[in-house]
Amino acid sequence: MTNKILSESILQKRINRFKSIKRGYYSLIILISLYVLSICAPIIFNSKAIMVKYNDDYYFPLFNSIFSNKNIEAKDLGQFEIKGKKKYGQPHYRLLKKQYQKEDKGNWVIMPLYPYDPYEEVISEKDEQFTDGNGNGVWDPSEDFIDENGNGIADKYKYTNFPNSQHLLGTDNQGRDVLSRLIYGFNISITFAIVCCFLSYIIGIIIGGTLGYFGGKVDLFGLRIIEIYGSIPFLFMLMILATFIKPNVYILASMYVFLTGWIGITWYVRGEFLREKSKDYVSAAVSMGQSHWNVMFRHILPNSLTPVITFAPFAIIGYISALVSLDYLGFGLQPPTPSWGELMAQGRTNLQYWHLIVSPLFSIGATLFLITFIGEAIREAFDPKVHSRLR
Amino acid sequence: MFQYIIRRLLLMIPTFLGITFMVFFILQVAPDGPFERAVAQLKSANATSESGVSMSSDLIGNSSELSPDILEDLRMQYGLDKPIIIRYLIWLGVFPKEYKRETAVIGKHFRETIDFVQINENSKKQLQKYILVESEVDKNNNISYNIIESGAGLKYSLPDVSRLQTDENFDFEKYIFFQSEYQELPSNELISTWYFSDWDLEKVNSDNTVTLIKKEFNGIFQGFLGYSEKKGKNVSTLIAERMHISIFFGFTSLILVYLICIPLGILKALKHGKRFDVLSSIIVFTGYSIPGYALGVLLLSYFGGDIFPLHGWRSPDFSELSLWGKIKDQIHHAFLPIVCYMVGSFATMTVLMKNSLMENLNQDYVRTAFAKGLSEKRVIFFHAVRNSLIPLATGIGSSIGIFLAGSYLIEKTFGIDGIGLLGFNALIDKDYSIMMGALAIQVIILLIGNLISDITYAVIDPRIRFK
Repeated sequence: MTNKILSESILQKRINRFKSIKRGYYSLIILISLYVLSICAPIIFNSKAIMVKYNDDYYFPLFNSIFSNKNIEAKDLGQFEIKGKKKYGQPHYRLLKKQYQKEDKGNWVIMPLYPYDPYEEVISEKDEQFTDGNGNGVWDPSEDFIDENGNGIADKYKYTNFPNSQHLLGTDNQGRDVLSRLIYGFNISITFAIVCCFLSYIIGIIIGGTLGYFGGKVDLFGLRIIEIYGSIPFLFMLMILATFIKPNVYILASMYVFLTGWIGITWYVRGEFLREKSKDYVSAAVSMGQSHWNVMFRHILPNSLTPVITFAPFAIIGYISALVSLDYLGFGLQPPTPSWGELMAQGRTNLQYWHLIVSPLFSIGATLFLITFIGEAIREAFDPKVHSRLR
Repeated sequence: MFQYIIRRLLLMIPTFLGITFMVFFILQVAPDGPFERAVAQLKSANATSESGVSMSSDLIGNSSELSPDILEDLRMQYGLDKPIIIRYLIWLGVFPKEYKRETAVIGKHFRETIDFVQINENSKKQLQKYILVESEVDKNNNISYNIIESGAGLKYSLPDVSRLQTDENFDFEKYIFFQSEYQELPSNELISTWYFSDWDLEKVNSDNTVTLIKKEFNGIFQGFLGYSEKKGKNVSTLIAERMHISIFFGFTSLILVYLICIPLGILKALKHGKRFDVLSSIIVFTGYSIPGYALGVLLLSYFGGDIFPLHGWRSPDFSELSLWGKIKDQIHHAFLPIVCYMVGSFATMTVLMKNSLMENLNQDYVRTAFAKGLSEKRVIFFHAVRNSLIPLATGIGSSIGIFLAGSYLIEKTFGIDGIGLLGFNALIDKDYSIMMGALAIQVIILLIGNLISDITYAVIDPRIRFK
């Protein structure tokens, strides 16, 4: 037991210290579980049915769409028409469920927990809101109907809806569900940030390490170039590029890193390398005939990781904010990709729909809030500062 | 110190060149630029004219393809006949821009319009010159060409054009028209004074004509930022019209941020770990987590319309208001945008102030001051706070740069027609001259801001010496 405590490594110490800072630790747990949830989103937030039983056959449309390209046609499941129009292609599962219930032939549909997906085909489901007289699922002008809100008026279908019992956070200006768009948007934002972080760390460590390790003229010249490069209005450049490259998440992340993301971390790594290389263990390694590469990445790098790791959460905040602002301006990911910034922009044009403003704003705020807490806790754990005052 | 400033100023030149060249290069290689748009526009114009009256079809060719001549002319108009580096040098103003080309008959003058001059509300006059090419043959049979010009003169306005146009005997060849103005072409004898012209001879054609070319240095170094054809104005005018907006927002929010963050940071440092610190931390972290423009959208949806105006820089009838009304109107319009401007730097400034003061309270000199028996107030406010302001002061220059360059996110959200929005709209309209002009100004502001940062650093902290 004592042995174990004695051999506790510095990393273990730091992890323990991090765990002892409760708000950071719980933020990390919440964030990770949210991300896992958002990865599983396709089986929770989806408009495709998990399982369909139709005429003694079992279908798994959701898993088919994820794992294979096998298409299930609407007519295979007995959905021949929707609202008086012939239905081709993919079935509309929510209406199919109602249809089966109405037919009562022992067929059934199991929908995912939240049966709306972010790319929802825009279709009026207003006929679900009331029960019509003749039971065909369509309200004809002459027939009596009992509507759910009880005012006896057939509400005209409109795309944007305030939060209600079906769409927990309402729908956006194209009738797509806001909640599922937020969840998918979360996944995309975090993925973007992680890809950015990974790429900029690779570039930053290599360039910053080289500048700091070799120093002298290499450093001076390299710094000038970085200074010039860093003064370029990158968001502007990214927007110029985005007008003719239509990027997906990974391409956008690489573009962002290439244009600006690598600069901050390069400064950090350079400073650390500059400080570390004058230490004795580096001289020892060099005198033993180690190659530059070995000295840089085997010896110095592990010793200069502290500020690099502390920097990461704040870099991630920067990446997420950048993605949101790009989407807000319309120069980010291609529509119909679910994104927070695009929802924000919709909110700006439709100020009366508060749910289009509050829900993305809350998502951004909460996510960045959690990451800030994590960042503070990591900094505290890695580089504890004891502030003492005399009085 | 002086040497240091000079060196920094010199270093700004390659930085400026590097930034502008990189953006220029990307704009030039980017597909679907102004040239492609002009070609597409001409093509569609052709298609409609073909379907209607087939006029000037010999000039343009068929509708789907433009004739090579027209394309060549367009290319020259957009400067695409030169390599990118030359185009960049032209933009800088170290390489002459060829902006007029004319084929002239030797011994016969032609007119060159220099400018349109507004005489009064109704009449505009053309300021023009007459250019004459004379050939001289010396005894060795070498031909030399002199290009001379008359002094610029105004044209006279014509009272009634329609009368002349119905007159069958009217000789149109003898008159030039521009917006109901005319002047009889002068014969060579009428013009008494001739000067050497700034037109250059490009080549001599076989059929007794010469091709003349007019070049001019006109770029950033001459103070010319470009001309926007879409807006019909010089870029420098467009920027000057909006500069006061950015300056107003920049300085107001900067001053307010410092006024709020410094006391708050001090208070937080003194009450570190207490309830006030924790509660204000939540506000600070929230401010850090919410982007300014996003907060702007939220504020607009709650306060816009009823309490605060939805968009704009001032009311349309601003000039008719009394002084007090003007102040009220300005605050009314600026309140929400300034809140959003401030949110961005509010959190970082406060935390910076707090951390820097806490660090200083740990220092030996504070201990010494206490040991001397100074009061706590005196130690904190005269010794520690002064030193902990240093990192904030260094940020002031770059903050000025960032604030003045304008935030297109906030300007777009609030519909304020500032420099940021000008650049953003130019990006959407593909108005490259505005983009480059605005970029040049913004880069210069940013660089000067950084320089101010360094100088304040040295002025405030005497320990720092530049080598």
